[in-house]
Parts: sequence; structure tokens; C-alpha cells
Amino acid sequence: MNPEHDYGTFESDQRIVAHSRYFAGLMGSYFFVRLRDEQKIVGARCEKCNKVFWPPRSTCGRCFSVLSLENLTEIGPLGTLETFTIVKYREPVHPRKAPFVYGIIKLDGADTSMVHFVDGVDFQKLAPGMRLRPVFANKRNGNILDIDHFEPLDSY
Amino acid sequence: MRKNVAIIGGGQTHHAARRHDVNQVELVNEAVRAALADAQMTIDEIDSVLFGNMEFFEGCHMTDCWLVDGSGAYGKPGLKITTGGTVGATIVGAGVHHVASGLFNKALCVGFEKQEEGDTGAILSGVAHPLFGRSLAGAAVGYFAMMATSYMAAWGAKEEHSAMVAVKARQNARKNEYAHLKLDISIQDALNSRMLSYPIRMLDMCPASNGACAMILADEKTARDRCAKPVWIRAMDTAHNEQFELDWRDVTTKKPIFSRVSASRLYRKLGVDDPSKYFDVFEIYEPATWAEMVWYEDLALCRPGDGFKLVENNMTAIDGPIPVNPSGGVLSTNCIGASAMLRIWEAALQIRGDAGGHQVVSKDIRRALATAYGGTNWTVLTALSGTMDD
Amino acid sequence: MKSAKDNVELISIPMVVDVPYRFAAGKYMTRFLTELRDNGKFYGIRCPLCNRVQLPPRIVCAVCHVKNSDWIELGNEGTLVGFTIMYLPLTDPTTGKPHEPPFAYGSVRLDGSDSVIDHFLNVEPVVEHIRIGMRMKVALKEREDRVGDLGDILHFDPVT
Repeated sequence: MNPEHDYGTFESDQRIVAHSRYFAGLMGSYFFVRLRDEQKIVGARCEKCNKVFWPPRSTCGRCFSVLSLENLTEIGPLGTLETFTIVKYREPVHPRKAPFVYGIIKLDGADTSMVHFVDGVDFQKLAPGMRLRPVFANKRNGNILDIDHFEPLDSY
Repeated sequence: MRKNVAIIGGGQTHHAARRHDVNQVELVNEAVRAALADAQMTIDEIDSVLFGNMEFFEGCHMTDCWLVDGSGAYGKPGLKITTGGTVGATIVGAGVHHVASGLFNKALCVGFEKQEEGDTGAILSGVAHPLFGRSLAGAAVGYFAMMATSYMAAWGAKEEHSAMVAVKARQNARKNEYAHLKLDISIQDALNSRMLSYPIRMLDMCPASNGACAMILADEKTARDRCAKPVWIRAMDTAHNEQFELDWRDVTTKKPIFSRVSASRLYRKLGVDDPSKYFDVFEIYEPATWAEMVWYEDLALCRPGDGFKLVENNMTAIDGPIPVNPSGGVLSTNCIGASAMLRIWEAALQIRGDAGGHQVVSKDIRRALATAYGGTNWTVLTALSGTMDD
Repeated sequence: MKSAKDNVELISIPMVVDVPYRFAAGKYMTRFLTELRDNGKFYGIRCPLCNRVQLPPRIVCAVCHVKNSDWIELGNEGTLVGFTIMYLPLTDPTTGKPHEPPFAYGSVRLDGSDSVIDHFLNVEPVVEHIRIGMRMKVALKEREDRVGDLGDILHFDPVT
């Protein structure tokens, strides 16, 4: 072996593929079933904090109260755009082709917000405070894309 | 240590292969609520939350963030820790440091795994070196199998000895209401179980469990004020093996193997002469039967090569002179991120006399040693005592 | 009695995470893998203090905390130090292809090295045919099939 030999750099392209299955739990399951079967959206109310959380959960993170099915309450379907971004670049991990809009949407009656797509909107007119409604998917499987997207309540 | 630290409470879930009724948050919360109830404490009293699991085993990153409602960490200082199989004990180590430093008086430690949700094989292969081992990933079973053939060749142990360990674990688990594999099996059952990787059979390996464990650590004043039976952390030690060097599976190696290095340091700290007499009970991390026999030797409970004779002579049975894993151990319950913490918690329960059906009753339990295993390449040892005199 | 809880259909959602990555072997591993791929040779590296010949080569001797310096060409024969017969169809995560069980798998210390290599053993997967301490010889893939990976080794053959 020649010690002066330049071995350069050695790089290897590999990938790891991991399959998983997320269990929604009791409160989460109730949320997805109602969404899929009835196109209803539910949150969980903590009586002590007087807050309604989406997604519904079994423990109030703030006061550590136990929340159960009795604490579930319907929220929305209408909501208000709190903030947004217009995605302009393309990435394999993106669920949609750019450009598209991610909004943070607070549903009526909820104290926490959700991230979802805002479609059918003139980018120039996007603004916090915009009122939105969910558009449900025709084929619903019990996941968050059973809401296909949100769209402006008023036509723009 | 700068300040003394005690375990003042703890709790665990009922461990199982399937927990479709809860999500990860809810699973963790079961253990946290049990620990708070045991310590008669509210979450508001906790100063800091240390949290961890085996990286990506559920297909989720940043579990400390996603599971914050369940762990009770909302708005509190804390750390996420992930050190593979040892993580449960590393979390406790971090908690001990938090309290021993004087910065926090009450630290909540939480470890969990919901193994059914993830892709154990794929994620474990990611632990191997991308160019020097990943394409040949033999899984944990292959590593332990090679250690086992070396053990048999070097010391003359037989498959029957492995079966004895398998039976001891599952029969002990039957006494433990929280254990996963409560199997009423015989040595013949173990020897007849399906061969996975010679000489390791199905019943020689740990299961994949869902479960969580939580413990509350406190400073001396809080422990004395608030807890009737504090269990004191007397010493902890951790050591790593050298990277790439796989020949620790050669049981005759003279290399400084992590478990032996760590044990000798821990014994030195405590002035332990004969660990088999100093400690009254052991909770060790044994993902495979053969690992338990190797642990006996690495912990100097017997001479090198005599580990299998301890099992043969029932020395490590729940009513033996050196009880090892009265809980049923990892062979009966392996929710990885919780497994190493469960060793410490089970050891603490033995000292408190609160282990229930699997309490060691043949002798007084004052001192205990708990071990952890990470990728078979590093360990965390924890020495516990019911008194501050030890 | 059935509570409301028992009536909720429990939902689970399958997910796949597919992570591509590019791994840089680094200076020492690059030299090792290049020699293996191009010339079919194994090189270890020796610590100047403890004289251990480490495989694969690495920058630092973890025991002595000094820079490893001397490259040592190793032979292609060695001794078996541990083995198993695998009955599980383990998948090679880098190709997605399973290894057909049962197969023999072992750990071999190449002559002149203080480290071991794990690989397939080209022996009948029967316990009686495998013995710790038996002499083994590396069988490499053909030059054109070698890519610079431990997979460039086909298996170890017993030395007869």
C-alpha cells in the first residue's frame, strides 16, 4: 500500500424505512370516529380551567385533571384563521404541490388551534381573522385528512 | 454525592403486548399518576421532569414534547434522554444529578415504550454502523446467540441452564401483577420452544411490551418529611464499551468490558467486598437468558465460568441466597424505555417490602443492586439502600 | 356492564417513515473500504502504545486515547470466536432482501488483528459442523461486484 495514495472520500447512499402504527387512544378514537362517520369535530373541555382542547385528550396539561368521554364537546365547524404561510418551494415530503397554504385555525368553541390546508383562497387576501369552514373528504378513513381542507367562508 | 437522594415514590403500568385502548400520552400518564399517588404528591409539587424512551421506537420523534400532558412536564424544567436500553436508568441518573446538585428538590423520572407501534427491526438496524454492520444486522438475538455459544464452549454450560433461567423468570413473573409474560412453563417447555438463533429459543428471549414506569426522587429533607419509606440512592455508575469491538461476546475476553468495569468502580465507591453478600437482592437487565448468567459473573456474584452453576443450584431463585429478578425481569417484561427504570423501581419495592406477590421473604432486604443494558455495549448500575448507614 | 368506553371503535393509523441519508466513511474507513473494494485486502491499524491492531481502522485508540498510526495488512484467514445458526429470515435493511434461514453466522478474528468481524459462515447450518476455534478463510465477491462495504465479503469458508 502506497502511503502517499490519495484515497479521496468515500460516501454511501442508504435509506432506512420504518413502518409504524399510531394508536389514537380512547379520546382520539372518539374524535376520528365522529369525524369519519358524522363529519363532526370534537374537543375536550376541562371544567377546572374552562378551556376546550383540540385534539381531545385524557389529561389537561395545565391542571392535570383527568378528562374522559363526558368532557367531549363539539367544536367548529367554522373557525378563524390565526396565522398562515404560503409554501412556495417543493419538497418530496410536502403533501401538496407548491404553492399551497398552511393555516393555523382556531375552531369556534375551542381554545387551541389546528394546522390544516387553506384552499380556494386568493393569496393576496389571506389575513389573520379570516373566517373559514372545513371541506370534508368524500372518502373518509378516520384520519385528519377526513377534513380535506378549509376554505374561506365568504367567496373571494 | 453532594446531597443525598431518595426514591420517595413510583409506579408502573400493567405491561402487555397490546394496549390499543391508550395512546402514548395515556400510557405514560398511567405510570405518572401511580407514582404521584404512591408519593402522596400532586404534579404541582414536582420541580423537574426527566423523560425518555428508545429513540423512534414508536415512529415519533421528540416524545418529550408530544407526551408533555401525560408526563406532567407542561411548563416545567426538564430533559429528554435517550440512551437505548439503558435509558430508564439514565433518566434516573439525570434525576439524581438534578437533586444531588441542590438545584431541584423533587424530580419526576418517566420512561416508557409502546413497542407495538413501531418498527423495532428497522430502528435497531439503524444502531449498527452504516458501512460496517448495517447490511449484516443480526438483531439483538444474534448478538446474544454468539455470546451464548461462546459461554457454552468456554464453561461447559448446556441449553438446560438457559431453560432454567427462562423458567425462573416466568414463574417469578406469575407472582408479579404488573408483569407481561406470566407463563407457567417448565424446563421442557423452554427447551421445546421455537429455535430463533442457536442456541437461543423463543422462551430464552424477552418479549416486546407496552408499558411505562415513573419514579419521584427527592432531597433528604423532603424524603424524611414526606415519605415513610424512602429508598436511598447510594451510588450509580455507568461505563461504555469500545466502538466496533464485538469480541465482548467472547466470554473469556480479558478486555475491560463495560459491566465489569462499572461494577468494580461501584463496589469501590461503596467499599463492597463480596457483592453476593453485600446486596440482598438484584434486579438485572437480562434481555436473554444467557445474559443473566454472564451478568452473575460480571457482577462478581461468582467466579468467571460459574454463573450457570448458580442457576443450577437455585442460588438466584426468589427464595435463594442471592435472589435475582424476583419481578420476572426483562425476560418477562420489556417495554424498553421503562425496562431499566423498572429494575430500579422493583429493587426499591423490595427494600420497602412493598413488592407484593414477588416480595423476597426468605431474608431481610436492606440493599439492592439494579443494572441496565444498552445495546449490550454500555450499562448503568444503581445501588440502593433502605438506610443512609450503608 | 358495558360502559360507553367499550363502544368506541379504537382507531390506529399506519405510517411509513422513509429516510434517505448519505454516510461519509471518514478518512480511516475510506482507506480501509477502498483497499477492500479495489485490492481485496484487509488493513487494520495499530495503536503505538498498546499495539492492538484494530479493525476497522479508526483515528483514536479508545483505550489509550492516542492517535492510531501504523497500517497493518492482515491475512485472509482467521479463527472463529463465536457463532449462531439463525432461524429468523432477517432482512438486510440496505437492500430489503431477506437472508434465507437457517444460515450460520459467526465472528472471526483475522490473523494479526485484535478485533473480530461478524459475517456469514459457508458451512452447513448444523451445530455439530461448527466449532469455536475452527480456522476460517475470507471469500470475497468478484472485483466488479465489490462496492466498499462489509457486504463485499461473501462469507467465511472453513479452512480444510
